Amino acid sequence: MMEWIRFGICAALMLTGLAAMCIAVIGVFRFRFVLNRMHAAGMMDTLGMLACSLGLFAAKGFSLESLKLLLAVAVLWCTSPISSHLIARLVLASENIKEYLEVRR
Amino acid sequence: MKKKNENSRPRRFEKWVVKGSAALDRHLMRELEAGVGEKPFESERIVRREEHREEMRARAWLNERLIYIKLHERMRTKGERRIHAVYMLLATFAVILIIGALLYTVSQMPPSGSPDAPAFNTVAERYIENGLEETGAVNIVAGMILDYRAFDTLGESNVLFLAICSVLLLLRVKLDRKGGVVEGPPGSGEDDLRYEPQDDMILQNLADVLVPFILLLGLYIVFNGHLSPGGGFSGGAVMGAGLILYVNAHGYSGTRRFRLFSYGMFRWATFAALAFYAMSKCYSFFTGANHLKSIVGTGTAGSIFSAGLILPLNICVGFVVAFTMYGFYTLFRKGDF
Repeated sequence: MMEWIRFGICAALMLTGLAAMCIAVIGVFRFRFVLNRMHAAGMMDTLGMLACSLGLFAAKGFSLESLKLLLAVAVLWCTSPISSHLIARLVLASENIKEYLEVRR
Repeated sequence: MKKKNENSRPRRFEKWVVKGSAALDRHLMRELEAGVGEKPFESERIVRREEHREEMRARAWLNERLIYIKLHERMRTKGERRIHAVYMLLATFAVILIIGALLYTVSQMPPSGSPDAPAFNTVAERYIENGLEETGAVNIVAGMILDYRAFDTLGESNVLFLAICSVLLLLRVKLDRKGGVVEGPPGSGEDDLRYEPQDDMILQNLADVLVPFILLLGLYIVFNGHLSPGGGFSGGAVMGAGLILYVNAHGYSGTRRFRLFSYGMFRWATFAALAFYAMSKCYSFFTGANHLKSIVGTGTAGSIFSAGLILPLNICVGFVVAFTMYGFYTLFRKGDF
């Protein structure tokens, strides 16, 4: 019984993460402008990675390997939003951003 | 007390945010007041940069044209033209010959997966069975690449060294202390560096936290290369990535403090690492070929000071790789260390 509950939790978390990643990939390829694509790709790094790692954590139980997984999530949560932030600043500095902000009537 | 509060991090951050947004607002207002000009939705800076680029491109095209004409004037005499034709014919012939020889060799190879393929010989068995006692390294891969095949790894390190040498030859721009160009190819001062966002506080705070851990992880991978997966190449790559992160956050004045990452330092460190590698391998080849006993024993397998020369060689390779990565980054970005 316990094993089935654990399997259920693991599967649900992994599926959530994979769904988030799929949506993000679709978004990266569907959107046209850098900031929109960045918005889609940022979700993959944070939500998708968190859910997948938590799923693996649930499958493995509490051990050194699963703690390393959590460390990887922590590092990704530090680095991924900051890389998005830097890309946004670079776009703001170099692209002609008003062309995209213009409201067409 | 009040002064201290002025310079605290949250206060500085707030100032940075407010200043930035105010500047953006002013910019927007100015653009709106200026109305619809020749290029209505482009800011002045971008227009200026585009014009400058256009000018540089035209100048480069002119230069190329001049070189082309000069080259073709030299080929005017009949004899030279004939030599050129013969040269072209010979070159084509040589290339076709090499391609044919290679294709013939490939067609003579046994099919993939067959038991008499050259990959399944006794060498691999020997590595797996006797590797631990002969090299003293728990990590068989480290024992292979830094003991049995150390000469090959020296070649790989030299490939990295030659790559950075050619990049230095092509891209180096000598800068003075304030960042002005002393010597270099024309137009080399006009880089994209000034358009990049600089002094980003968020990135700086992250780098302050992360860089020590990244460097520590790289050192761990290098020093533990003969005990666990890893070694000089992967550890050096991690260290180089940490250095690049630090440069991105704090700029070149941060890494140039204490004169740690100057051109001279780079030169000497790479030279010392490669020379030590070559000398130590010379020694071990000499003793091995003459059946002498090496001073550096294999030690007890599993402890950190074991496996003979593998640990110092790992450190050498790690230094070369880290410096090469950092050097590539700085040279491609700015043209100097």
